Amino acid sequence: MPRRFVRSAPSKADKRRKVDIRVTNMAASDALWWDVRLGPKHASMAARADQFWSWSVLLPMCHLVQRAKRRYCRPLVIWARTDSGRFLRVGMLIVIEAYPYLDIEHPAESHFAWFMSGADPGVLTTEFGMSNPPALGRVLLDSAIVLSQNAGLAGRIGLHAAAAGGDALLAVYARCGLIRLPATAALPPSVRRPNDGRFFYADEPVAEALAAALDASR
Amino acid sequence: MSEFMQLDAKAPATLGAVVEAVTRLSTLGEAKILELVSAGKIADLFPFRPTGDQPIPSDTLAEEELVEASASPLNRKQRDALIQSSLPATSPKKYRPRAASKR
Repeated sequence: MPRRFVRSAPSKADKRRKVDIRVTNMAASDALWWDVRLGPKHASMAARADQFWSWSVLLPMCHLVQRAKRRYCRPLVIWARTDSGRFLRVGMLIVIEAYPYLDIEHPAESHFAWFMSGADPGVLTTEFGMSNPPALGRVLLDSAIVLSQNAGLAGRIGLHAAAAGGDALLAVYARCGLIRLPATAALPPSVRRPNDGRFFYADEPVAEALAAALDASR
Repeated sequence: MSEFMQLDAKAPATLGAVVEAVTRLSTLGEAKILELVSAGKIADLFPFRPTGDQPIPSDTLAEEELVEASASPLNRKQRDALIQSSLPATSPKKYRPRAASKR
């Protein structure tokens, strides 16, 4: 049986409280909504790596660029239940399928979490009536892991922590349980970039452990 | 309107702009593109601008209005539909709220 995406996540403020989550495919209207309703709020937050991201541009660009490389993207939207009982977009994710696995000691394919954003919890509370915004880091990574597992890639994923996120973003991914690729490690030839020490990945055991830890929430 | 928004089969200059932008970006690694996007510089390389006349979807949807994504691999037809849905509707008249149609 394929693993499903998670359907609940702990509240960011109160880990004992569960928040309902749903995952949908991302379309242009989702990107537009994010850019119009959340983009201006995030643009004023200098510490955010996605401060200047425009999802309306990213979404078609990612599809086109990866198709030129004969790969596909899976863009997803994470929704969470608000106090009114309705669902609000709280996270955005673009995963590249069948990307070179970052650990070249074990040549294989993986999924690559290219762009990930979680809405600012304060904005969700003050502007959108969500008293308990969910913790999204694990949800976003889990979505990529589950896609990888169901595609027969054993949960292997990779990502690059945007430099704009600074040390804080590195800490987030390390806290989530990902393995940091040593800065001295070579990258797969097709990655076409020097290793700046900001690459992370999940191997099969790590991916399975991370996914299994959320199975009760699926 | 951007060049991309005006894209049609009879506009080779526009098609050329698309091909040029994608070709250029395809020579860059994903981490490099991430850095360019994060620095707010992607507009220099990818001249797509959504028009301002698209209706903004409602903030929230009821649970029954959401169509949950499959966590399984997509088939060719589903992939094509996903790519197609990444482009804004060409005319507001053609816009249909996903709650009523696509979702």
